[in-house]
Amino acid sequence: MTDAKVEKKVTKRDLLSVFWRTILGLQMGWNYEKMQGLGYCFAIMPILKKLYKSKEEMTKALKLHLQFFNTTPAMAHLIVGADIAIEEEYGLANEDTISGIKTGLMGPFAGIGDTVFVAIYRTIVFSVASYMALQGNVIGALIPVIPAIAIWWVRYEFTVIGYEQGRRIAVGFANQLKQLTEGAAILGLTVIGGLAPAVVKANVPLVFKSGEVELKVQDMLNNIMPSMVPMAIVLLSYWLLGRKGFNSTKLIIFLLVLGVVLYNLKILG
Amino acid sequence: MEIAFWQILFLTVYAFVAQLDALSLQISLGNPLMAGFVTGLIMGNIPMGLTVGATLQLMVLGVATYGGATVPDFMSAAVIGTAFAIISGQDVEFAIGIALPIGLLLTQLDILARLSNTYFQHRADRYAEDGNADGVARMNLMGIIPWGLSRAIPVFLGLYFGSEVVKAITAYLPQWLMGGLKVAGGILPAMGVAILMRYLPLKKFYPFMIIGFVLAAYLKVSLIGIALIGFAVAAAYLFLKNELKPQTEGGDIDD
Repeated sequence: MTDAKVEKKVTKRDLLSVFWRTILGLQMGWNYEKMQGLGYCFAIMPILKKLYKSKEEMTKALKLHLQFFNTTPAMAHLIVGADIAIEEEYGLANEDTISGIKTGLMGPFAGIGDTVFVAIYRTIVFSVASYMALQGNVIGALIPVIPAIAIWWVRYEFTVIGYEQGRRIAVGFANQLKQLTEGAAILGLTVIGGLAPAVVKANVPLVFKSGEVELKVQDMLNNIMPSMVPMAIVLLSYWLLGRKGFNSTKLIIFLLVLGVVLYNLKILG
Repeated sequence: MEIAFWQILFLTVYAFVAQLDALSLQISLGNPLMAGFVTGLIMGNIPMGLTVGATLQLMVLGVATYGGATVPDFMSAAVIGTAFAIISGQDVEFAIGIALPIGLLLTQLDILARLSNTYFQHRADRYAEDGNADGVARMNLMGIIPWGLSRAIPVFLGLYFGSEVVKAITAYLPQWLMGGLKVAGGILPAMGVAILMRYLPLKKFYPFMIIGFVLAAYLKVSLIGIALIGFAVAAAYLFLKNELKPQTEGGDIDD
């Protein structure tokens, strides 16, 4: 860290403290009214105590940070970091700037974060882990722990980057993230393509008898394309999810019913 | 077999801690996969726990708990389903058949926890009026109680009254339903895959998904192999893109 300013109030130790508080506390008080608002206030608390000594200032600061907040937890570190830098510089003089940065960044960052840290991360880590576990390998259950700890390091770096970039963060960092997100999306989609045949089990027990000849439907399907039925069910689910008012809970119920129906029609078994 | 009280207690505490982990450290305690494994370990049937956990995990692969979207609680469901199957000497399909409806049912408790925390938010707002920073911080930590109990209570009740419930279930479940649930358990992972496809820019990058599919379906490459190929393809794509379109800086990708 290069620091040009002589009278820095916020130390590296403060940032470390905020980093841990964000990890541990951001979602503990999650509620429908302010979502992560309570957790955000909890996370930035050491800085507030350092900067605002009078009761009036503290009241103002607490109320400001108890406001509505919600983003991908990993991305929150960038926002908290930037927030700290601004408050250290200007205090509460620019309440609107702080509010604006928090609310302005949380949406776009959630968009990136949910793709990278939720969708792609889970695809890769848990598809590999579940696949191993299905083969009876205990390592499968323990594998996800390793990348999870690596994510802590990313989140710490985010805290520092956020602090150092202050307000410039949104622009400069977003370009790099775009490249990273594209690459990660390609990796994620390749894995997803392999996931359907590996994990969706749909065996067709139908046998057509015409005189002497027995036709196993599953063999016929395999000759056309292996894993055709699993892929068809995946694509059907994908299409259903795109329809208005259809969500994952409805899809679970749909697939449950579909399974029971197809079993009793002797199409799947 | 009968479930011992210490096993009930241990799994109840696990459910409490696992939920808190899912909200904070995220070292994977709160995932169905780990929940199945831990339950299998405690109940003395690890293969069963792994299979149940992995199957449920694949279903919720893409289901994110962000933005306040409540999702089925397959973590607690994995604990209860695995334990029930082991107690009654049933198979994996039975465990999943039990776990699915339970997971859906427990969605309501997740909502209840998020509602309960609104009370602490209001208390914190009042502390803020007095400039009481420590009071605000304490209110955030109070959220631990509703969050933890929303998972611990159903697990405790389920396991405590479990054996009677299991006996009743096995006595009345007809073959058409059990067989159907078994098939459903096989096709349900399609949901996790489909949700992920919705997340990612499929329309833009669909050829890469076809590559993955062919590798798995035709060439039987394992998922780790596919992930490596995917990484190489992604890197190559970015290199080429930067070659063809001169930019100020090349993006390097790393996981």
